[in-house]
Amino acid sequence: MPRRKKSDKKKSPIAVSVIAVTIVVLFLIRLYQVYEPLIRHNFFKNGIGGPLFNGWSLTPLGSDLLSSVSYLLLSLAGIFVLIGFLRLQSWSWVLLMSWTGISLVISLVDYFYSHANYAVMASNVIIAFSLNLPGVQRVFNIRRDDEAHI
Amino acid sequence: MKPISDRIIAPADTPDLELLRKFEPVVYYTKGEQVYPAAVEYYVRECSLREHHPDGSEELLVPQGQMSMEKLIEPRPAAFGTIRYLRFIEPLSLGEAAKVLADQAALRRQIGEYFRPGIGRLARGGFLPRLADGLFSLSFLLRGRVPAADMAAAELDYNAVREEHPEYIYYGRVTRQAGWTVLQYWFFYYSNPWRSGFHGVNDHESDWEMISLYLYEDDGQLIPEWAAYASHDFNGDDLRRRWDDKTEMTMENGHPVVFAGAGSHASYFRRGEYQDEVTLPQPDWLAAIIKGWNKLWTQTFGQEPVEAFHVPFVDYARADGLRIGPDGPNPWSPVLVDETIPWVSQYRGLWGLFARDPISGENAPAGPMYNRDGTPRGRWVDPLGFAGLDKVPPPPQAVHILEQDSQEISRRQRELKALILEKVDLLQSMGMELKGMEGNPHLAKQYAAQEKGITKLAAELRDLRKEQTENVALLEGFDRQLERLRSGLKDDPHAHVKHLDAPDNPGEKLRFDRAAETWAAVSLSLLLFVIAGLVFFASHYVWAGLALALIFFVVIESILRGAFVETVAWVTLVLAMVAALILFIHFWKWIILAALLVMGVSLMVQRLRELAG
Repeated sequence: MPRRKKSDKKKSPIAVSVIAVTIVVLFLIRLYQVYEPLIRHNFFKNGIGGPLFNGWSLTPLGSDLLSSVSYLLLSLAGIFVLIGFLRLQSWSWVLLMSWTGISLVISLVDYFYSHANYAVMASNVIIAFSLNLPGVQRVFNIRRDDEAHI
Repeated sequence: MKPISDRIIAPADTPDLELLRKFEPVVYYTKGEQVYPAAVEYYVRECSLREHHPDGSEELLVPQGQMSMEKLIEPRPAAFGTIRYLRFIEPLSLGEAAKVLADQAALRRQIGEYFRPGIGRLARGGFLPRLADGLFSLSFLLRGRVPAADMAAAELDYNAVREEHPEYIYYGRVTRQAGWTVLQYWFFYYSNPWRSGFHGVNDHESDWEMISLYLYEDDGQLIPEWAAYASHDFNGDDLRRRWDDKTEMTMENGHPVVFAGAGSHASYFRRGEYQDEVTLPQPDWLAAIIKGWNKLWTQTFGQEPVEAFHVPFVDYARADGLRIGPDGPNPWSPVLVDETIPWVSQYRGLWGLFARDPISGENAPAGPMYNRDGTPRGRWVDPLGFAGLDKVPPPPQAVHILEQDSQEISRRQRELKALILEKVDLLQSMGMELKGMEGNPHLAKQYAAQEKGITKLAAELRDLRKEQTENVALLEGFDRQLERLRSGLKDDPHAHVKHLDAPDNPGEKLRFDRAAETWAAVSLSLLLFVIAGLVFFASHYVWAGLALALIFFVVIESILRGAFVETVAWVTLVLAMVAALILFIHFWKWIILAALLVMGVSLMVQRLRELAG
């Protein structure tokens, strides 16, 4: 019987795929959060149809536009991280963990002070726990086998 | 035993004082040290004697200026719970305190020796320990403490006495226990200005420190084998180093070298700066919660354990200051002590101010023979147990003891061999009897009893065989050890040490050490300002703001300490756990349902695969 060929390629654990799928889900949620206020204000039909500032504070349109832009940046950052993540780059693990941390902070503040977005919260929890798995950390060179911790 | 030629030895009949002198240590201090080992008599003469009664009242027994060694040991009956103590520095008025502090500064200028801390303990410890340290410092507002002016006054008074009596004293004690000759060197200091002088954990009036040397007798000669240096309140095996341990023991012409911590006077084997931790007292329920959390945190999430209730401190044993010891300009003046010396055995009180500190850090210590509560001190009554040597025989006896043990086990092996043969015969015979009973319904009772007997005997036989096998391994170990001992080979000198206290690497620096130190100095205050700002300007968002500020501070700290990746990982993990809890509270039915469905599907797939072959 011929010997089975062993691949030199780093094998990525299943959690990496779970994380990647969750990032895509988060991307879609964020994309919805980008478009929803714009559609509400008929931005695509009328463009910016009112003032953005009222003195030093933002008008509702300005506030929605700002949150759209922020979510757009977050979505783009997500795509950037996803590419690095699928290529098993160490920096993408650090960036994704930081990104997830920031996203969790926003989710928790939203939960306690305004409206909770449970889908985002759940996605972040899945990403955080998956990133912490030893197998995932090893494949990204965050944890080595001779170390008890990262 | 092979003779040990490379170390100083002494004839077994050497008089005690001579023996002490032969092995007396060389002690190196850190530049800026303020007090050195001195005689107790001049100190006691300057003190008052007082009592703190259980109802909280204080009583002056002997006023300052009238004290003597005789008055110290005068029998005075007292109620249970009474604490007797000396007071070296009488309470100072504000004006006196200011003058004393100014005089201390002038004295330092005159001596020209200043202590420079370098990377401080706060920068070395991390943000969470620093929070605990902040609480610890604030606790001084509630706990009793020794005022900084008292420490300054003690330094001035010590220097005044030192001008008249410049000798450096150690109190030497020689005791013999279980084949060991123990030499104890006790050092008395007028004060322990560790907190006020060297950023340490505590200050107290007077200080008793000690090192012990352990000698064994061979061919009429006493040979040093172990040294144990007292360091804070630690004890046991970790304190002990073997005389031939070249990485740990420093020798000068056969004399062991001690590196004394600045202000704390704790004794170390190696020169350097020691980073250690004091564990804050915590209630049992809190300790249990922390233990449970750490189990989850380390075993499930693979993180470092949380040690938030540990206050970091640095003991500076730099050895760039005074040297006291033989073959130098500052020799010792030894004084032989034992239980017959009245002040040693008859004064059970504290040797300085009782500061009413419930965790005792600021209360003065008791004398060499007693603990603060008047009970006998372990390192005096059980000097072997103090260094974990109570289970270690002197080398010449070790061979004899091992040979005896080996013979005893060999004898037991012979006994076991005969016993096993006997039991095997019996078991086989019982087995045959059992076989004979089969097919005879009227013998059912006997059959059951026989079966029970066989089970019991089989278990006994199993135990005997187990013991026999274990003894074989034990004998092999004994033989190896005997061979090593007879050939003069020794174990790894660190084999008994669980935690080797090592100084920080002097070349090691924090990533941005200056920035890290500045941050360490101001971060806790900044956090308090942030809290104040939140309460004043955004009272609705205090908790969220506080959590965000804490995360921000921890992340900044991690960047400065070069631990960003670890910190981001654990901060995100904690946030994820909080979020997971919230999700569970809101969707527990759905989560359980999903888990059951996933388990059901996975089980079904497994079984169907099995069915398909």
